[in-house]
Amino acid sequence: MTTLAALAHTRQDYSYAFLDEFAKRELRRRILKGIAIPGYQVPYASRELPIARGWGTGGLQVTLSLVGPRDVVKVIDQGADDSVNAANLRRFIARVASVETTTDALRATIIQSRHRFPEERLREEQALVLQVPYPEPLIAVQPSFSAARQMHADADYALMWLDLYEQYVRHRALTGGANYPVMVHGRYLMAPSPIPRWDTPMLNQAAHLTLLSAGREKRLYAVPPYTDVRPLAFTDVPFRVEDQTGRVCAQTGATNKFMNEVPQPDGSSQFVLSDTGYAEKLLRRARGEPVEIGETFYYSAEHDA
Amino acid sequence: MAYVAARGGEQAILQAETLYQQLNGSPDAAFIRALEQLMPYLVDRVMGEGSLYAPQLAALALAQTGGDLYEAVLLLRAYRSTQPRLAYAEPVAQEHIHTVRRISAAFKDIPGGQVLGPTLDYSHRILRTELLDEQHQASEDETPQTDAEYPATNGRLPPVADWLRSNRLVAPLAEQDAPAPGELPDVTRDPIAFPAPRAHRLQSLSRADTGGVLALGYSSMRGYGLAHPTVNEVRLGYADVVLRHPLSGVPFSAGRMRVSHAEIVNSAADGLELGFAATIGWNEVKTIAAAMLDVEMNKPTPHPAHAEEFVLYHTEPVEASGFCIHYKLPHYVTFASALDNVRRVAAGGDEPEQG
Repeated sequence: MTTLAALAHTRQDYSYAFLDEFAKRELRRRILKGIAIPGYQVPYASRELPIARGWGTGGLQVTLSLVGPRDVVKVIDQGADDSVNAANLRRFIARVASVETTTDALRATIIQSRHRFPEERLREEQALVLQVPYPEPLIAVQPSFSAARQMHADADYALMWLDLYEQYVRHRALTGGANYPVMVHGRYLMAPSPIPRWDTPMLNQAAHLTLLSAGREKRLYAVPPYTDVRPLAFTDVPFRVEDQTGRVCAQTGATNKFMNEVPQPDGSSQFVLSDTGYAEKLLRRARGEPVEIGETFYYSAEHDA
Repeated sequence: MAYVAARGGEQAILQAETLYQQLNGSPDAAFIRALEQLMPYLVDRVMGEGSLYAPQLAALALAQTGGDLYEAVLLLRAYRSTQPRLAYAEPVAQEHIHTVRRISAAFKDIPGGQVLGPTLDYSHRILRTELLDEQHQASEDETPQTDAEYPATNGRLPPVADWLRSNRLVAPLAEQDAPAPGELPDVTRDPIAFPAPRAHRLQSLSRADTGGVLALGYSSMRGYGLAHPTVNEVRLGYADVVLRHPLSGVPFSAGRMRVSHAEIVNSAADGLELGFAATIGWNEVKTIAAAMLDVEMNKPTPHPAHAEEFVLYHTEPVEASGFCIHYKLPHYVTFASALDNVRRVAAGGDEPEQG
């Protein structure tokens, strides 16, 4: 006998990857628009997730709308896989999307990150999803979003150049820190999320797709593969990455990578690699285990040796 | 079950949650039921900011978070994200609200009458310490009996604004058909852009943080404002949620919810203008402050409370509280980037390169 119960779906509390299908469809459409207009901020509705707002819900919505059962997901926070927030997001994605997770940047198909690029170069079929607190690069000179949108439409970035000039006049240096503003494809000024300046050059002509998403501010944008991304700077006062000269990782002996400075009781500092997935692989190689280490963006003596 | 790498961070999360529950105890169904019945204003506030009318779930959210309001609101909102929108209710006219309280400060008496209703406004705020006594028995006069389920108003109470309109004191409503409920801009389905459609503005105020709306509204009332507001009407009541049957098209009531709204009349030299705000649940402070902001946000001056974009962005409870507590997350990479600049500038900065 045919019953209604037999015809109906089995009861499901949540859709695959948590978001309902309408929300995912909206996100995918916005992502496609973002890819089509590199660096342009696409507004989206932004659903509340069971994670606090401002803790990566923008990146998470993008990841949840991209992920499929065959994906391999890596989540990092400040470069670390084992930070509690990264662990929490990874646990959530794995739980609602039944995907394999990894700490190896080479194995991941989707890497969700807060404030860092992996040191190893990413490939064409990989997507890097960056969590964004402030999507608007003009916020320093124009806090109103509606006014800033008009400035983007006119490509009117004069205030930013003036701000840059003032930095140099006051401090004899360009003092932009993390989240250093970049020009994308020669058209849109973009906030690359608070990645250190060390990571900024990795965006230029990168082989992988970078998606940036701010859940709280309801904006997402993209840098498609092989796109020009240039930090804002003058020809005679160039952009500079954070100085890592003389810093040697206390755990792996690595050099010329982005290091965490760890204050010591005697007033000195120790340094350790910020990218824990990369550090883990260097340690495994040191123990003689077989491990594939990718080419890094910056030259590294310990790898090429 | 997918493979999840077990790492230090995940252990820490589980231990922290266990410790939280050990310290705060675990609420049971009876407590949650009591919370729903005895703390209606608290439940209303969480439902209003969570923009989900579900008293039982709101009480659960409060119990589950130990009464942390922002956490409780986030729980409701996150639950809301998982629910499809099946239908849009028909609009509710003010006079169709089953009103239990409706007062106007603008006139001594109004058509339909002033209805004081349930309020503590004129009570002495004295702690009733006798309630702490385990032996205390409620006496007759402490438990007054009301003779109806809804203590007041059998007849309809027309909005005070109607009287103002009929006297040409405020502009008449535009002659137009009401838009179909499903075609109204929906701030939970479309991103807000400024200047915002009126629907987005009222929906945002309805979901806004009570404290945030009060702070900005109060700044305006206290002296930064340009308006000279009078409370035209504050109304608390029960509204029918009227849906149309998907096949027959016949309207029917799917239930009733507690709602409140406030109407502010601003007396400018060249005439009167109205401000309005409404929310799920009974929350007079929020609707009065929000209705004042509704008037103030039209003013072209630099004070933050007069800018719609400023008010609506910064009174969103889930976004504001979430971003505030996100500063607990590690920021050592961004801090290192700033340190690098401080050290470089202290060392004399960069010489310009010779081109």
